[in-house]
Amino acid sequence: MRNDSLIPSFRRPASSVVIRRAANYEQDLAGLLYESLLQFKLPIKDKTVLLKPNLVGLDPLGVMNTHPSVVAAARESFLRLGAAQVFIGDAPAMDRDTEAILESVRLREYAGPLARTFVDLNVDDVERVPLKTRASRLKELYLPKTVMGVDFLVSMPKLKTHHWAGVTLSLKNMFGIVPGSCYGWPKNVLHWAGIDRSILDINASARPDFAIVDGIVGMEGNGPLQGTPKACGVLVLGNDPVAVDATCCRVMGLLPEKVKYLSLAGTLLGNLKLEKIQQLGETIESVRTPFAVLDEFRPLVG
Amino acid sequence: MQVSPEASFVATTCLPLLLHSQNTDGGWGFRSGSASRVEATCWALHALLNAAPLEAAESIGSGFQFLRAAQLPDGSWPASQGENAGCWVTSLACWVLLSEENSAKAVASGLRWLCDDWPRDSSPWRRFLGRFSSQHKIFPINTSYRGWGWTPRTSSWVEPTSFALLALAESPEELLPTAAKRRRKLAEALLYDRMCPGGAWNCGNPMVYGVAGDRLVLATAWALLALRHHPERPENVMSLNWLEQSVPNIQGPGSLALARICLDTYGRKWPLDESAFHDFYQKNEFLNSIQVAAWTCLALAPRRPWLATSSREVS
Repeated sequence: MRNDSLIPSFRRPASSVVIRRAANYEQDLAGLLYESLLQFKLPIKDKTVLLKPNLVGLDPLGVMNTHPSVVAAARESFLRLGAAQVFIGDAPAMDRDTEAILESVRLREYAGPLARTFVDLNVDDVERVPLKTRASRLKELYLPKTVMGVDFLVSMPKLKTHHWAGVTLSLKNMFGIVPGSCYGWPKNVLHWAGIDRSILDINASARPDFAIVDGIVGMEGNGPLQGTPKACGVLVLGNDPVAVDATCCRVMGLLPEKVKYLSLAGTLLGNLKLEKIQQLGETIESVRTPFAVLDEFRPLVG
Repeated sequence: MQVSPEASFVATTCLPLLLHSQNTDGGWGFRSGSASRVEATCWALHALLNAAPLEAAESIGSGFQFLRAAQLPDGSWPASQGENAGCWVTSLACWVLLSEENSAKAVASGLRWLCDDWPRDSSPWRRFLGRFSSQHKIFPINTSYRGWGWTPRTSSWVEPTSFALLALAESPEELLPTAAKRRRKLAEALLYDRMCPGGAWNCGNPMVYGVAGDRLVLATAWALLALRHHPERPENVMSLNWLEQSVPNIQGPGSLALARICLDTYGRKWPLDESAFHDFYQKNEFLNSIQVAAWTCLALAPRRPWLATSSREVS
């Protein structure tokens, strides 16, 4: 079973975040990720792992979704680390045809046939989950049994700006576990409950154990769907999604403390402050790539 | 007699999957072995009623029983067992239960719930507040039109609005609540208002921050089916043209099935050969989806009594 304890103590230890340079999707990402994951000594031998990429829509140009080569590389790495099974799962938010999205991103080409590997979280069996925080007005959500039952959950977003939330990274990516079969396409009930607060509630209740961010090519401006591709050339990974997202913001030239949901998450779910994050691999400064944001998010720019 | 590849695919792959995946409670889950859900059950029932009404009579009977038992006291149906609030699947349940002679009361109460369920985004109070908001520049839509949301008291979206319109259009007059006529009129206007520039639909955001939203096959097919009694309207024609041109590029079997149903319904020629669905199945086995198997049965059927009413005008 996964560690179910809520909210780390305020005297929590520092989180670890690794930044790796990766110039393109053709290089040996599995080797790079495997070597990086080894540093974390993750307890996943014989465990079931679920990789939750960000698959938001039909994406023939490969600019809005987590790139399939990163997902396949992560799968290979976790299997090599001894995981018993590694599933890939997502609940795309805008289009009900999940298989069309998978084919458009060419996930099958990279990860093999998907009938027994991919879990469409939009139509998975669900269980009632009382939310552990009450940041939004939601008291409970019906969430996929696969997500709640897995041993190790990995959020795998793409590095993007977001026209409502400022940025969409590993915490916002967890919106994508909420099943459309219960809440629709899009999951409008979360918007009514408040995006920032819903992000907090979902992450407190279905806590991702690890995050791997595809920042090789991200998206700036009017993300998460209609922004502009932005080459950033990094993979960012770590054992605390809040710290990973904070690091990504700093790489993007944004202030994580000014991102509303991240600031909330930093008080409860993980480490936001630079001094509480052990930065490994490349330094933030060496890979910093300022991302353009919509006018209303100018205050986020550092 | 030679069986066509499509009929053979339905008979050897899709129908057996549906028949073998029914749960002991009479319902179907979204995958074989998963818990029964209202939506999956509705599609499986539509498919069996259409393709094998006699051979599958027992399955169909217990499917109807599951649906009737799942109805909530307020007339609605929940998305999953254990939920005590109804949602958009109410339209689907009403629609399929119209085929069952003992369900008139259940359908009438479901339709009443649907017509009493107004989305919150377009309430008079919200519209008043909207005058002072910058949101209308970001989402330039007419909020005086009202359809249906995925969940009660949220916003109108294209697909749940289409499902409700289909359920209302297929229902006989005597089961319709008095508000039905007005709801249909407002909802049809909403669908046309939410159409993307140049035709076709996505979930319901034609423009965001001045950029046209991407058009989607499923949303377009459902909207066109819901609006099929206006075949000559330029919006329908433009959208059909887009759908027809999109078919060769469709990458999912669910979209392919709905596109086929929609184009057939409007009398357009299907441009792909008979192996298209089988080829999709070879890729990912439809991700084991009961819903996609059911839609494929419906798409490849020679007749469509489940879309019986073709021209009930909204006056």
